[in-house]
Amino acid sequence: MFRNGPLRVACGLIALAVVLGLVLASDAPAQGKKLKIGVVYDYTGPLAGGGSELHALGAKIMIDYFIKKGGVEGYQIEAVYADAQSKPDVAINEAVRLIEQEKVDMLLGFYSSAQCVPAAARVEQLKKFMWITTCISSAVLENRHLKYVFRTQPSGKQFGLMSTDFLAQNAKSKLGREPKDLRVAIIHEDGAYGVDVSRGNEEGAKKAGFNIVLKEGYSATAPDLSALVTKLKRGRPDVIFHTGYNPDITLFLRQAREQGLRFSALIGHGAGYGVYDKLKESLGRDVNYFFNVDPISIWLANEKSLRPPLPAMIKMVGEEYEKARPGTQVRSAHVGMSASNTYVFMTEVLPRAIKKHGGVDAEALRKAALEVDLPEGGTMLGFGVKFEGESGAMAGQNDRAFPVILQYIDDKPYLVWPKSQQQREPVLPLPGTSPYAAQ
Amino acid sequence: MGIFDIFLLEAVINGLLLGGVLALLSLGLNLVFGVIDVVWICYAELIMLGMYGMYFLYTVYHAPIVVAGAVCIVCVGILGLALHALVIAPLLGAAPINQLLATGGVLFFLQSAATVLFGIEFKNLGLRLPVLKVAGMFVSYSRLLAFGAALIAMVLVYLLLTRTYTGAAIRAIAQDRQIMPLMGVDTRRIYLITSGLGGALAGLAACLLVLQYDVHPFVGLTFGPITFLICVLGSLGNFGGGFVAAFVFAEIISVGGLYLDLEWGYVFAFAFFIVMMFVRPEGLMARRS
Repeated sequence: MFRNGPLRVACGLIALAVVLGLVLASDAPAQGKKLKIGVVYDYTGPLAGGGSELHALGAKIMIDYFIKKGGVEGYQIEAVYADAQSKPDVAINEAVRLIEQEKVDMLLGFYSSAQCVPAAARVEQLKKFMWITTCISSAVLENRHLKYVFRTQPSGKQFGLMSTDFLAQNAKSKLGREPKDLRVAIIHEDGAYGVDVSRGNEEGAKKAGFNIVLKEGYSATAPDLSALVTKLKRGRPDVIFHTGYNPDITLFLRQAREQGLRFSALIGHGAGYGVYDKLKESLGRDVNYFFNVDPISIWLANEKSLRPPLPAMIKMVGEEYEKARPGTQVRSAHVGMSASNTYVFMTEVLPRAIKKHGGVDAEALRKAALEVDLPEGGTMLGFGVKFEGESGAMAGQNDRAFPVILQYIDDKPYLVWPKSQQQREPVLPLPGTSPYAAQ
Repeated sequence: MGIFDIFLLEAVINGLLLGGVLALLSLGLNLVFGVIDVVWICYAELIMLGMYGMYFLYTVYHAPIVVAGAVCIVCVGILGLALHALVIAPLLGAAPINQLLATGGVLFFLQSAATVLFGIEFKNLGLRLPVLKVAGMFVSYSRLLAFGAALIAMVLVYLLLTRTYTGAAIRAIAQDRQIMPLMGVDTRRIYLITSGLGGALAGLAACLLVLQYDVHPFVGLTFGPITFLICVLGSLGNFGGGFVAAFVFAEIISVGGLYLDLEWGYVFAFAFFIVMMFVRPEGLMARRS
């Protein structure tokens, strides 16, 4: 058969075309199925070094992991990264650009609450899905009844309430005083983030009966905080609740030391207080025994209490973090936070949207997000996930999220609160070795 | 708690020390504007580069801090010269807005270049200076240094301008740019000397600011606008005016912030600036024509 040379060549070409056609045909749907994610963090400007870039790293580690895996449920993953430049207006413009020009299916990220509040409203207007990995201000969601905006993080108010609860429970045993005899000061950067945490602080302080001697906001870019320190000296607080970014935290602590401010404890709330390496570099051992309220660092989580696949993921994130930032002394909780929150989206929301709701449009993703029901231990951060429905006052907020309190002791972070997860007893009041110690 | 207590005194002293920092910042900018009639919008970014210089020399290359400071002052002085030679000189005859835009462009260039070269992380010397306790009050050593340096720099610049031939030429050009070339003065040389001096003053400010602040590519945003306001308030180009305005501004911020919210201190300072722009638009220390 096929003695004729040209005929053999022709048949061969036809067969090749048929095979190629079949291959291309089978590939066509796979190529067409893609989830394009717009990722927005601050890669430049003061917020970048203040923690945003570490969150961006955590999200990227997780996105790259799923890209390498070949995607999710037949959908390829593509990420388009945008820099909010530490400016709310740029964050909104970038969000709109990603949606309208880059044609992304959804947005993920957002470090600063000042950006999150307006960006969430704009994204909702454009009917796109927004998955917040970081910003915590209640104002992003409170009484806005947003349909397409979801946040796995605890809210800023929860941060504020957690620290006052911790102090109230330890006032008598550690400081030897009833809560009503404790003098506390609440200071915060004046953006959406600081204001929200301070609201929680104030509510909790009133509930506990603390004597609030000062509650004041300041601009995170203020060149001088000496007047604030002088006021604190006049108010003589036993405990300071502080919420700030960086470099305002280091400026405040430096000026506090130089002006001789003394206190029994300082409780920071995330952001700049979550980047221990930078605090240590700026302030040396002065940061010893400071507290920080944040979602738990994934590297401190009790692995036995987590779902089976999570410890391996935590290990993977840690290895990638080391590769990206060799020589890191204390792994920042920031990286783990965004990695975990991105993982929840990739494993809980996205597969459900594709399989059950037919795709990756905002409506399918929204329905899938509302169906997520993870009990405690269901995420790398230890908490579960169940989002409040759109009729709720905090629609889109993860009701099962909670922060914890860490204490930095001799270059190591220890989980000291809540009691159920405590790794060691908190050191309270500040020992006499601290330059801030009231004793 | 009375209105006049030791904390008020402490706030006044803090205001004085902050004034020293702001005066130091305004000195170089005023000098350059007074002579060349060009506002270096990127002045705070030169300071930022100087702060990075200090960081690398002291922390990475372990140079003694005084040597690092001296090298830094010279290097930023050379940057000032380069800025004039490469950006300002070709635009000397252009409209003021073009000059302003050009130095504004340099601002963004330097911020972006610093981001690419040094990264976005905050860096600092990790140097904790001793705390001074005087009469029950604590005084910031680093601010005291800045205050002293501002005074000394002011006196030195004054002596340079009043006791040397070059200084006389600088003042003469500041008074009449057109006539001096006709009198045989090499204006190009005087402009270069002034730019170098302005840069060196930025370098000096950098050496002292890096003792108090972390350095990052956008640190100029913290100081740039307030420095410019102080120069305008004191009468742009007038060293004495800038010096006085710096202390007035700092005292309003410090004392205002003690009795009201900290932010009100800034509100009052800026309100004072606006009112003064109506009352004395030519600046606090300008001579009335």
